[in-house]
Amino acid sequence: MEITRKEFLQMAAGAAVCAAALPSDGRAAAAGGPKRGVSLYSYTGDFGITMTLEDCLADMNDMNAEGLEILANAHIEGYPNPSEAWIKRWFGLLERYKIKPIEYGHWVDSRLHRGRELSTKESYEMLRRDIQLAHRLGFSVLRTKLGVIDDTLTPVKNWREFIQMALPDAEKYNVKMCPEIHSPTRLKSKMIDDYVEFIEKTKTKYFGINIDFGVFQNRPRRNAPEMGGGRPFTPGDKAEDMVPLLPYVYACHAKFFEMTDDMTEATIPYEEVIGVLVKHGWNGYLLSEYEGPRDLYMASDQLRRQHVMLRRLLGEA
Amino acid sequence: MLEKEMIQSRGFRNVYRDGKIVGFQVAFRTTYYRGVYLSQLGEATVTVDGEKFAGNQITWTIGDRTYAQAELAKHSEVHWPYQEPAVLTVSKPGGLKPGLHQVELSYQYSASYMPPAMDPRTVTGRRKMVLVF
Repeated sequence: MEITRKEFLQMAAGAAVCAAALPSDGRAAAAGGPKRGVSLYSYTGDFGITMTLEDCLADMNDMNAEGLEILANAHIEGYPNPSEAWIKRWFGLLERYKIKPIEYGHWVDSRLHRGRELSTKESYEMLRRDIQLAHRLGFSVLRTKLGVIDDTLTPVKNWREFIQMALPDAEKYNVKMCPEIHSPTRLKSKMIDDYVEFIEKTKTKYFGINIDFGVFQNRPRRNAPEMGGGRPFTPGDKAEDMVPLLPYVYACHAKFFEMTDDMTEATIPYEEVIGVLVKHGWNGYLLSEYEGPRDLYMASDQLRRQHVMLRRLLGEA
Repeated sequence: MLEKEMIQSRGFRNVYRDGKIVGFQVAFRTTYYRGVYLSQLGEATVTVDGEKFAGNQITWTIGDRTYAQAELAKHSEVHWPYQEPAVLTVSKPGGLKPGLHQVELSYQYSASYMPPAMDPRTVTGRRKMVLVF
């Protein structure tokens, strides 16, 4: 997305102010530009074992990573019908730890029933239920996971129908439904062309894309040799391939597998990726998604390393 | 809080009815990070010290309801959460002796966003555990 002259001057002015008075509390220095957050998926190895929802939010607060992604099915007690008492507690926690609900991860579970796929109507009803609950909890973006029909994650054939049915609900509740572009899907592919075509045809502001940075992985993982099902590693997309999609990207998954001791990611070229986002004025949330080994306590350490790197790349440090 | 292991040590005990031991129960967590709807589950099998149990020897208790294995497919409205154990009750007259037992538990689940070739997934947990009574 091109930035206007006004936006550019605001950013430049903001940067100048911040350079003059560096905040000591680690808060985002640059006005405009991508912002930091965390997906609670990162804490999968600890959630419910060593960490409660509150512990996860406290951890985020400790890093000043204010943008939150939850997975509805995992992190909402009583999903899909949380109690009023839980919802009240939810807002209390957000306020206490200064967290902004950004992305609500949910699934249109096409294989919900044994032996048949979900109908278009059933898919729409499931989607509508999540749109309403996401709105209720304060979220503005949905990470809408569609059922898939093959190895490259092509979505179910009727996705256009039920997404179109849900667009008025998304508009009413002011949420943007975003399927994720996730490896092994490539940024330059028919699947993405189909999403863009849908957006341009409907002219909707309520359906977009989430880019998972795993698509940019350019080195094999060292800490999970069994991943990849025995296939040889192939490098992913270039950061520049994102640029034509940026107008439709409402959130990103800052995927990572291994942060080294010098605070770099061992497999994904973060400097290039963040560089492209900053250069093109993208100002959404980078939601950290740790997907390395699930040893106890490892996620908290790895997230801190990633946020050292992100702060550096975003000019906060 | 739950233990990191799939099979939980809390909940492993014999089941009594009218003063007799009719079987035993074992609790386990799903380990699938977003939980699953009951209709996405495949049947569980339990093996204790080499003795295998399956099919209608086993019922599932999730929340405060108990389901026969054959019933699971009907319950797409029930979500088994990641943070809550399910309890399998296994029919075995006389139950298990107090002390150490080698327990293995297996079940399947379906996830709609996995490539069809990788779905459903079979998960197996093994644990040496202590039964008190």
